[in-house]
Amino acid sequence: MNDKVVVESISKNEYELFFGPAHPGSGNFSVKLKVDGEKIISARADPGYLHRGFEKLMEYRLPIQNAVLSDRLCVLEALNWNLAHAEAVDELMGTEIPERARYIRVIMAELSRIQSHIIWFGAFSIGTGFDTGFKMAFGYRDYILDLFEMITGGRVYPTGYICPGGVRRDLPDGSKEKILRVLDKVDKMVKLEVMENPAMVARTEGIGILKLSDAIRLGATGPVLRASGMKTDVRKDDPYEVYDRFDFEVPVRNEGDAYARYMIGIEEIKQSISIIKQTLNNIPDGDFIAKKFEKPKLNIKIPEGEVYVRNEISRGEAGIYMVSDGGGKPYRVKIRGPSFLHMISVLEFLLEGTQIADVPAIYWSLNICPADLDR
Amino acid sequence: MEDLKKENDLLEDILARFDVEGQVQRERRIWVKASEENLTSICKFLKEMGFEHLSAISVTDWLEEEELELTYHLWSYDERVLLTIKTRISRENPVIPSVSPIWDRSAQVHEREMHEMFGVKFEGNNDMAPLFLEDWNGPPPFRKDFDWREYVKKEYYSKDNEREAVYYE
Repeated sequence: MNDKVVVESISKNEYELFFGPAHPGSGNFSVKLKVDGEKIISARADPGYLHRGFEKLMEYRLPIQNAVLSDRLCVLEALNWNLAHAEAVDELMGTEIPERARYIRVIMAELSRIQSHIIWFGAFSIGTGFDTGFKMAFGYRDYILDLFEMITGGRVYPTGYICPGGVRRDLPDGSKEKILRVLDKVDKMVKLEVMENPAMVARTEGIGILKLSDAIRLGATGPVLRASGMKTDVRKDDPYEVYDRFDFEVPVRNEGDAYARYMIGIEEIKQSISIIKQTLNNIPDGDFIAKKFEKPKLNIKIPEGEVYVRNEISRGEAGIYMVSDGGGKPYRVKIRGPSFLHMISVLEFLLEGTQIADVPAIYWSLNICPADLDR
Repeated sequence: MEDLKKENDLLEDILARFDVEGQVQRERRIWVKASEENLTSICKFLKEMGFEHLSAISVTDWLEEEELELTYHLWSYDERVLLTIKTRISRENPVIPSVSPIWDRSAQVHEREMHEMFGVKFEGNNDMAPLFLEDWNGPPPFRKDFDWREYVKKEYYSKDNEREAVYYE
């Protein structure tokens, strides 16, 4: 005990450092670091810069409005959140979704996952000072945004494209060929395999190691958990839409470091490409929205009940808990974003005891999004 | 045909041990209603049964019944089942034992958020610092009787301001 007191009193290098919220490499989020020289003694997450109170806002709105609102949950993967919200309403209302709509939903969710993983790679690269990777990632992402524009009308926000009952519009003519061409381009980007860059490997290998027991204890999900050695994926374990009809692998690694987390992302892009190809080959003809929802109606009531919907989005497990008291608006919506635990409990744990220079590598390896943390 | 054998077996196992109500909603979804007293013991039991992942903690404000309903959404990686425990506590004095000794840090952070948004006190959770709201002295904002439109009008808008006067008409 005495030793500790002495050390603290002579240490003159201890200070507090803010990583974010105005840091170019942090997003709208900050971590308070207590630092001794270069070493981080403790980290404290400081969220709230993007808090918009979505859960409360949704209580004031009809599902048709909430579908548009749900885009904004996360800028980087708006369609996945669209899907989670639509599923919650569908399950409460017991709507039969037409087969074609289910396939279109899967295509859009997987395209969204690919572009989100590409942004992850871009942000990871710029965070660790690798500008080429950043520019390449955002260049290739634009091809997917072009597809979104063609199909939904919006490049980043689809404004409720995946809505209760199905999807807003059918795939336009020639979509299949265009999607396949974009997938070829993405495939090319993945093959260029920028992670083989020795500087990137040196920056990420062995950094921020998360053991499996810690990952479960801290509530990690998705790629972060899979990089620590747990083979789990909501699409396989708790299938929604038509995911149980497709053949795909769940990539797992055991190292649990920043490099492993990113390599999981690369593998997932390949799997998503395979899922989209299978979907395009098997997509049936038919309606793209249930008859009841074909024309937007304002007087639709949600039957009394409650559901908890889980989706695998690119960052991990997304959950929507929706309660209805029989009115037109949901009585309570709870949104569980994967970044909520990744950015608070996991990040604080991983940063402790590391060096300042490793903060961006650890931070971005978690594939985080302050928007779904703050909601 | 959905095969609900796994879910029914799990539920029976719980009903045999604890004085709770429960139902199987569909494949992979079980809902259990527990009282405040046996919440901790049922949570301990479920953790041992393999429900290692606390997906979320939520609160629903039932204004008419004057009760807050806490829901704990648990996922088992082995059984592949989502089990939700629901507990009701009084709205006036919302105190409940914390589950952070059971699910550790993940529960701690979820409880911290629910404390901030609904004013629920979790006994045994020692870090209840606000997450999202800075310098907030008002009532817990996600409760049903808090109307943010009224609050904004009262605190930030003025009738004399030409652009904001429209909100008072």
